Amino acid sequence: MQRLTYAAALSAVIALPATAEEFTWAETTDPQTMDPHAVNSAPVLGFLNNVYEGLVRRGKDMSVEPALATSWEPIGDGEGWRFFLREGVTFQDGAAFNADDVIFSYQRASDEVSDTRSWFAPVSEVIKVDDFTVDILTSAPNPIFPSSIANWMIMDSDWAAANGAELPDKENGNYATLNTNGTGAFQVTDRQPGLSTTLVPYNGWWGEVEHNITSATLTPIQNPATALAALLSGDVDFINPVPIQDVARLQQSADVQVIQGIEARIIMLGFPHEADGLKYSAETEANPFSDVRVRQAISHAINVPAILQTIMRGNAEPANQLVSAAMNGYTEGLGSYEFDPEKSKALLAEAGYADGFSFGLKCPNDRYLNDESVCQAITGMLAQVGITATLDAMPVQNYWPELREDNFDMYLLGWSPGTFDAEHPIRFLAATPNEELKLGSWNFGGYSNARVDELLPLIQSTIDEGERQAMLDEVANILYEEAAYVPMYVQPLVWGAGSNIDLTQRPDNFFILRWVTVN
Amino acid sequence: MTDTPLSQPEAAKGRWARLKESDFFFDFTHSPVAMVSFVVVCILVFSAVFAPWIAPTNPFNPASLNLMNGFTPPSTPNAFTGETFMLGTDDQGRDVFSTILYGMRISLFVGVSAVLFAMVLGIILGLVSGYFGGWTETIIMRIADVQLTFPSILVAMLIFGVAKGFTPVEYRDQMAIWVLILAIGLSDWVQFARVVRGATIVEKNKDYVAAARLIGRKPWAIMIRHILPNAMSPVLVIATISLALAIIAEATLSFLGVGAPPTQPSLGTLIRVGQGFLFSGEWWILFFPACTLLALALAVNLLGDWLRDALNPRLR
Amino acid sequence: MLSFIIRRMGQSVLVLLITGLVAFSMFRFVGDPIDNMLGQERTMEDIERLRGQLGLDQPFPVQYFRFLENAAQGNFGVSYRQGRPVAEILLERAPATLELAIVSAFLAVLFGIALGVYTAIRRDGVMANIIMAVSLIGVSLPTFLIGILLIYLFSVELGWLPSFGRGEVTRIGEFWTTGFLTETGLKALILPSITLGLYQMTLIMRLVRSEMLEVLRQDYIRFARARGLKDRVINFRHALKNTMVPVVTVIGLQLGAIIAFAIITETVFQWPGVGLLFINAIQFVDIPVMAAYLMLISVMFVAINLIVDILYVFIDPRLRADRTGGH
Repeated sequence: MQRLTYAAALSAVIALPATAEEFTWAETTDPQTMDPHAVNSAPVLGFLNNVYEGLVRRGKDMSVEPALATSWEPIGDGEGWRFFLREGVTFQDGAAFNADDVIFSYQRASDEVSDTRSWFAPVSEVIKVDDFTVDILTSAPNPIFPSSIANWMIMDSDWAAANGAELPDKENGNYATLNTNGTGAFQVTDRQPGLSTTLVPYNGWWGEVEHNITSATLTPIQNPATALAALLSGDVDFINPVPIQDVARLQQSADVQVIQGIEARIIMLGFPHEADGLKYSAETEANPFSDVRVRQAISHAINVPAILQTIMRGNAEPANQLVSAAMNGYTEGLGSYEFDPEKSKALLAEAGYADGFSFGLKCPNDRYLNDESVCQAITGMLAQVGITATLDAMPVQNYWPELREDNFDMYLLGWSPGTFDAEHPIRFLAATPNEELKLGSWNFGGYSNARVDELLPLIQSTIDEGERQAMLDEVANILYEEAAYVPMYVQPLVWGAGSNIDLTQRPDNFFILRWVTVN
Repeated sequence: MTDTPLSQPEAAKGRWARLKESDFFFDFTHSPVAMVSFVVVCILVFSAVFAPWIAPTNPFNPASLNLMNGFTPPSTPNAFTGETFMLGTDDQGRDVFSTILYGMRISLFVGVSAVLFAMVLGIILGLVSGYFGGWTETIIMRIADVQLTFPSILVAMLIFGVAKGFTPVEYRDQMAIWVLILAIGLSDWVQFARVVRGATIVEKNKDYVAAARLIGRKPWAIMIRHILPNAMSPVLVIATISLALAIIAEATLSFLGVGAPPTQPSLGTLIRVGQGFLFSGEWWILFFPACTLLALALAVNLLGDWLRDALNPRLR
Repeated sequence: MLSFIIRRMGQSVLVLLITGLVAFSMFRFVGDPIDNMLGQERTMEDIERLRGQLGLDQPFPVQYFRFLENAAQGNFGVSYRQGRPVAEILLERAPATLELAIVSAFLAVLFGIALGVYTAIRRDGVMANIIMAVSLIGVSLPTFLIGILLIYLFSVELGWLPSFGRGEVTRIGEFWTTGFLTETGLKALILPSITLGLYQMTLIMRLVRSEMLEVLRQDYIRFARARGLKDRVINFRHALKNTMVPVVTVIGLQLGAIIAFAIITETVFQWPGVGLLFINAIQFVDIPVMAAYLMLISVMFVAINLIVDILYVFIDPRLRADRTGGH
């Protein structure tokens, strides 16, 4: 009762945003650059999707749809893809778009200094057929190539040359770090890094306008409580993310809406498969986690439903594999390790650890939603089956170096497949680490399975959907049986907006301005 | 005892025994604020020291926690487990009352240790610089000047950053507490040093010190036995006020992510964690720790205030 | 006199070098900037290449001396995060912090002196005692909590004041932006400056009170009273004037504390000043920005110290190096 009147009192005083079409929004991180090829990170690509466009783009349901290319078709027997470009498109500075810009953008985005280079690893050559046709040749058949370049944004070659921004410059920055010239629905009129970025609609955009925004301003707000206060007081129209604990409160308010969805990111625990012994253990020299029974015991010891119920407040879905059900190539009907402390203890006893053991759990404290709370809860759950985990939580800038230097006995990791395909986590997390082949670069524990390594190249080059899915299923099964990782849940996506705002949420957590309507 | 009768009024109050005989207790018994503060401090310190016996649960023992108890409102049965907690539970299902007791333990431990550290360091440097003078004094006081202008939170952050790099990974959790003590202590010694140095300069030229020197007493003995007692009452006042400041400083540092870790929470850490639940309606996770911190710091501050007035006869 | 100043300046330079060394050695431990600069699909090869480009693979002394060399020429390098010269970023952010600090200091001085005088004159009054006790609440809660509670009350519950940011700012000249000229700008200043100034206000109030009480006991005040001068004249013409010297000193020294504590206030209110810049730089391991900020702050503090010292010598040559503040 008390809570109800409280909420009513709260909603009564919330002021409505003053002007309707001037849209303001807040995110935790400011896009660190305006250069679409300099940094391959969600805040940058998400923001720039409003300004720049690729040959293809993703629709409201994540499906691939035409953008600067009107259509595309495979060349021959998997030699590559031919893209037919849209005619009559102009960049925001008035220059016309043609095949030269595509070639230039390929060279720019695939250069050694570009962070987006890995997208073009399968590409052997890009050929201009005519002004509006481009062939992209791949070294092996690549069925998912068009969908893997949805975030490859096209830049005007003349504009880049005129402003000395032919290549991205991460270290010192250049003209393209602060200025933009895309073909997208919005153009940046004011950029103050870390403070505010203002966009207005681009009048010469080729597409059909759905939004009614006249001006949009992004302000980064790091402190979640401040961001929430800004939304509640009507100072901003939209925030991302909403702290998970505040969802229920916001839902009660008439002036604010919560938009929830499932993100592509899986939160999991990783093991030191390769290590000779534990780093932070008092009593054991050996590495218990190299024993599959111990890993299975851990999987059984973790009460995922309880984590979802309390820490995630019922806003997340459990996971049993490295991708969520929304991803391409998801394995149906895979088993999962139920929460069963007795079975966990039995497995531990079987492996020779009836009395448990102690080890160090590494965890970031500012990377994933409530990451530190989740790790604390895991410590408690493991204690109940007799394993003592010492938690070491740290900011993410300290976290990755620790993992790279193998300073962990177990670690928390979140993985969002950039391609929205099940192949992605296999390449980065399950393949045996190999510098030269650029495989397993996030496989910190050094998990290695010959069959998985054998299947990966086949998955990458198989065109037939059914055949490909069968191989993905096999890998998912191996990873499940071996308990290579402990997938726990799919991180929820929680946005908050004024109730007068219509918008579309995509699982990649990109906020697309052209789908926003202010009522 | 070779003490000569002390002429200065504040110096005359130097000894604890003398304080007892003086107006001190009269003052105390006639100041309700002082008495209430004293009682509050005593209760809080007592419950912190005896937390393991008073607290219903041990929040540091992960095996005793049930996550399903999370977010239980105060004195209301949990919807899943049916358990009831006087002050409710936090996100991990920990009893808020117990975390406060244990948190206060850490806050007080950090605060008291930091102040003791600052006091000892300040007294030593103050005595040395006042007694020996010359370049020793110049160097110490120069450092003190810089220290005084350089803000304490920046000093603490710097020390924290450096210490983190030098500590082996497996000790980092325990390290946090000791680094906090070091950081807060190091940013706080100057006041002690200045007061002690001032008193030392006044006293060292007095006849009795000269006499002690003549009969061959060591400088250390003279400083500690004869000079220091004269500076003890201002030192006591500064120590009390510094204690409140140190407890708050620890809380502030925890907001910047350099405080006690959530696995070993201080009151400040509890408040930092609790502020995340301010808007979501779980007010008790923030409210009770904040009230405890307020009560503790306020009582210590008021006590320090009263102590200053009581020990400073010029304000009578 | 001149040799004293020269010696002092020499000492100041030494202090700066040491601060720089300490600050710089800290950066090795705050984390690795590489992960923030590269995306998810980076390879180990990319990591090594970028590390080489940033000079992070150099030995520590080399990095430190290169930093000093550049800093001495006013070049603080390029921000890892923003890809712009650090000096430019600092200049852009400085007005926000300075305006906030000035308003906070002003409020602290104004209310501090007024309440200090009041509580000294009405030493045993009920109101004075209440003010004394309540003022302690301001220093018995951490700043960040006070800020959040103010936001909760005045922005969310009452909706009177903005919850974050600087409001609308006006550009003056090339570098300065001010929030003083617009209504939203002024409103945005209220909560952060109260949060930031509360501690200093309490400090000044208590200092003024105790100094006043001391002065009021002096013989000349008693004579003045005996001569039949009005209380108001005694209190303000004579007593207050004489309390001002220590108060001014403390305000000078507290200026540094205000700017340092702005880190917390700016984080809570998303105030776009140098403090927020510093906190963001720590999160991003933006070493050039962190180094420049710390050097800037040290230069400022050393300068304040130097000026205070020199002023002291001018006022009273007996004081020389043994300046005793100690309040």
